[in-house]
Amino acid sequence: MVAGAWVCLLAPLGGALAIALGGQWISRRLAGYISTLTTFVAFAGALVALFGLWGRDAEEREHLSTAYTWLAAGDFEVGMEILVDPLSVVMMLIVSGVGGLIVWYSMGYMAGDDEERRYFAYMSLFVFSMLLLVQAGNFLLLLVGWGLVGLASYLLIGFWHRRPEAVAAAKKAFVMNAIGDATFALAIVLLIWQTGTLELLGVFEEVDGLSTTTVNLVALGLLGGAVAKSAQIPLHTWLPDAMEGPTPVSALIHAATMVTAGVYLLVRAHPIFEAAPDIQHLAAILGALTLLVAGLIALVQWDIKRVIAYSTMSQIGYMFLGAGVGAYGFAIFHLMTHAFFKALLFLAAGVVIHHLADEQDIRRMGGLRSALPRTHLAFLVGTLALVGIPPLAGFWSKDAILASALATGGALGWTLFVAGLAGVLLTGAYSFRLYYAVFHGSGAAASEHAHAAHEEGPLSMLVPVGVLAVLSAIGGLLSIPGVWHPFTHWIEETGAALVEPTTGQEYLTSAISVALGLAGIFLARRAFQRDRQLVTQPAAWRLFEHKLWFDELYDALFYRPSAALARTLRQNVEEPVIERSLSEIGSGTIQAGGGIARIQTGLLRTYAIAIAFAVCVLVVVFVAVR
Amino acid sequence: MSGPGTGWYLIVAAMLFGTGALGVMLRRSPLIVLLSLEIMLNAANLTLIAFARQLGNLDGQIFALAVMAVAAAEVAIGLGLIVAMARRNIALDVDQASALRG
Repeated sequence: MVAGAWVCLLAPLGGALAIALGGQWISRRLAGYISTLTTFVAFAGALVALFGLWGRDAEEREHLSTAYTWLAAGDFEVGMEILVDPLSVVMMLIVSGVGGLIVWYSMGYMAGDDEERRYFAYMSLFVFSMLLLVQAGNFLLLLVGWGLVGLASYLLIGFWHRRPEAVAAAKKAFVMNAIGDATFALAIVLLIWQTGTLELLGVFEEVDGLSTTTVNLVALGLLGGAVAKSAQIPLHTWLPDAMEGPTPVSALIHAATMVTAGVYLLVRAHPIFEAAPDIQHLAAILGALTLLVAGLIALVQWDIKRVIAYSTMSQIGYMFLGAGVGAYGFAIFHLMTHAFFKALLFLAAGVVIHHLADEQDIRRMGGLRSALPRTHLAFLVGTLALVGIPPLAGFWSKDAILASALATGGALGWTLFVAGLAGVLLTGAYSFRLYYAVFHGSGAAASEHAHAAHEEGPLSMLVPVGVLAVLSAIGGLLSIPGVWHPFTHWIEETGAALVEPTTGQEYLTSAISVALGLAGIFLARRAFQRDRQLVTQPAAWRLFEHKLWFDELYDALFYRPSAALARTLRQNVEEPVIERSLSEIGSGTIQAGGGIARIQTGLLRTYAIAIAFAVCVLVVVFVAVR
Repeated sequence: MSGPGTGWYLIVAAMLFGTGALGVMLRRSPLIVLLSLEIMLNAANLTLIAFARQLGNLDGQIFALAVMAVAAAEVAIGLGLIVAMARRNIALDVDQASALRG
């Protein structure tokens, strides 16, 4: 069982190393096969771990495996250790399973690209980093995985390094994530100081003995990391720009890896957050805020991938909401179903983009239903799952989170509940706006690219889309209110839920939410039929189009002052003081040298006279001193 | 102890030293400069021996012998240089050999 987990962790690393070291020795095609195969080997390892855990008693499903002591400083030791428990096994399955499908899909999507080998090496590295993150048995190893995920995302977002926008987006993602990494690292330092250990289970045992301030600070630091990695307000601005990367990379970032890391951290570190309820509620509030803001922005975007990106932000907001009110099982459940349908949406969008020769603007699409019938069906399934129409996956998981918010009660619970329901309406509107714009209407715009049109795509692209469509359709059946909850019970062995919605609450929530989702769809349909936009107010349009001016705000708050400061220092310190002093030291030395050189006349007799004179002076001095 | 007192030896030595020093400082011929240097060395030898005699200690005399050996070596090199200069038709004038001017 533990061996399976280790195989799961190391197989993608082996794949990345093999491709990186193999270089020209392996063909481009082979690099794709290596990457895909190792990711599926990881999935097999995760399955072995799952069945191993399944066979054990509920109390014995937590297993820490230490390979060796990695770091030791005095009494403080950090091991190279992985934690295998119900939560990490589920995450391993999602990461390697969905990740494997996406890597497989990439073989078709990236075929013919100049640097396929580099691409697949990065993909394997990405999957490995995420697996390290979810399997880490201590916070330091978790941080290593956390940082590697950031690095891999930087490399992949900037994969097309000849495009300045891609490089800028990669840098932005890296910098925003570095802020989160920094707060995470500070929290870890605080933990070492206060508890003397970084082992997850060890820390959780000591949480009760810590002061309120410490726990709050640690939780805040961890939340900062989670917010940055999961692109929640206020550190969300990197996610839409990250669409500059290849489409499968977007799918990997949004579905299987990276953005889900924040939710995983909230659930994994739940004892810390439960000891700091204010911070946990802050997570829920940030999630609610993000899901609304992202939903509103998504209403006006023109780029097919950006709409889906904002939808990811919004859905991660639901997960934060769930984890924030203590519904850990439902948060992870939504994470899984979201991984299915979001990967499906991105990969289907990739088929569309591929078909239209890299066109991403939905104003230049339309009527693709007839040209891409199978993709249309898959996209429709994904969109319906996203909106939460029964019996597709999103319905079961999203409504469970909302029901938990309702069960929390109080002002907070009701606010979160209402915000979540408003989000459902927005989700229906923006996702069907996208669906209609791409697949319905006149095909005139699309026919421009007709010459580039080929079949829907190679088999390696269509099969993963099909598998994901099936998963999106049936993935939600793992947890049906009032009937059975195997998935959430499995997760709750790691983190017992703080709230348990009654079956009545769940069905009530479902009824309202489905009604709102349908209303959203109806709005989108009416707007589409009358050839109008969803947002007609020009001021609101401008507000959403500029993403609520977050980029401009950060520009004015952080970039401009520091750039101005740097410019001032350059003009007033660097140039006059430092640069000029350097040249003056040089010229001064040259001048002094010239002066001293004049003493050396080359005349032997002057030297003799100088020596004689000096001796006389010395004699006088010695005599006088005596 | 017979003969003149140590003071007289020192006076002679001082005069010899002064002569040598003036020669080094004023004359331009390298041969004479070398000769004046020898006079200065011998003035120093004279003082060493004079004090050795006064103190009845042989260390000064041994030291004078060592100085003579060094002086002989120095003269050999100095004369060699002068011969080399003469062979190459370089003027035997220390003021003109000023290539090391800064």
